[in-house]
Amino acid sequence: MIPILGLAVGVVLGLLLDPDVPLWLQPYLPIAVVAALDAVFGGVRARFDRIFDAKVFVVSFVSNVVVAALIVFLGDQLGVGAQLSTAVVVVLGIRIFGNAAAIRRHLFRA
Amino acid sequence: MSAPAPGRQRSLGASLLDQVLAETLDPAYAQAAAARAERAAEPVAGAGRPSWLPRHRGQLLVALTLLLAGLLASVTYQEAALGAQGREQTRQALRDDIREESEATDALVAQLEDLTAQVGRTRDQALATTVTGQGALTRLAAAEQGAAVLAVSGPGLRVTLDDAPPPADSDPVGGAPEQNAAGLVQDADVQLAVNGLWAAGAEAISINGQRVGATTAIRQAGGAILVNFRPIAPPYDIEAIGDSEGLPRAFLASYEADTLARLTLDYGVVFDFARVGDLDLPAGSGAELRHARPLEPAAASGGAAGTDPTTDGG
Repeated sequence: MIPILGLAVGVVLGLLLDPDVPLWLQPYLPIAVVAALDAVFGGVRARFDRIFDAKVFVVSFVSNVVVAALIVFLGDQLGVGAQLSTAVVVVLGIRIFGNAAAIRRHLFRA
Repeated sequence: MSAPAPGRQRSLGASLLDQVLAETLDPAYAQAAAARAERAAEPVAGAGRPSWLPRHRGQLLVALTLLLAGLLASVTYQEAALGAQGREQTRQALRDDIREESEATDALVAQLEDLTAQVGRTRDQALATTVTGQGALTRLAAAEQGAAVLAVSGPGLRVTLDDAPPPADSDPVGGAPEQNAAGLVQDADVQLAVNGLWAAGAEAISINGQRVGATTAIRQAGGAILVNFRPIAPPYDIEAIGDSEGLPRAFLASYEADTLARLTLDYGVVFDFARVGDLDLPAGSGAELRHARPLEPAAASGGAAGTDPTTDGG
């Protein structure tokens, strides 16, 4: 219950405060969100699999977001930022779909 | 999700894909669960069930992380929404600017036409009073016809040039389809068509409503083609008045038409022509007074002023 409350509070805070994001950070926000989604779906699925672990979740979340942003940053420096973003989105997208399918199987037994 | 059968030889790409597809869950979860089970299995002295605090701490940690996730998502959403809004505003402002400036230009052109007509009327009246003036008026009418400052109409030929359509396999994701630079109509192509039409016996030519006179330049500035220093946009309709039989025949047999046809073959430039029964070409605006001298000392009553009357009140 507390985690879901945290999520809701985060969304509301972001919408209300509308913090100024530095310009250099803005290109990495969307990719960071996709990485965060991957970590969250992974966490939810682990919970359904009864192997959820708080430490693993937090570490995977932070590292996911940082590494995804870092890969895109590196790609930007090398001139292949768009292609690497695509690669990150494809891989994370596949994982999100896989985890969502597992969650669906848990929820609906189908 | 089942892992691929071990021991089978797979190519690197296939195994990578298999891994991505099969391992959607971070293996760290399974490892942590195994480690927990191990810890629970071996009896630890002094600790039975884990106390409430560690459980609570884990939940709080997860809540904090999810708060971060929510924050990240909503901030990103707002940035994207703001960016789209800003782009739309900028585009709208630019569009308004373009429309305003175009309207101003149109108004000035209309004013120029009015004033030119006024000057012409006044001049004709002044000239019509004397015999020498009447002679000059006749010569003037012929000169005006030649200088393309009178609107004309008649049968003729319409030649249409247009940029090559974008290739069918171009990827339109993320904006407008990529336009192949080689398929764009150049100023030289329009010049070629106009020169070909003159050579084929055209008596008057206009391009997209801009009359081509003796001093008209067809040139390129940036991506736009300028005729009479006014930008024109594709498709380029080049209308030529001339003999309805001879003009098309002579034009199509010309070297210029041949070159344009080859441009179509090589680069996909659109090159079309049609015989038109009745074309209306607008008057050109090239009637700037550059030289003037008195006809005779007595008759000259202010007509030899050095200033250019068409620029008055602009």
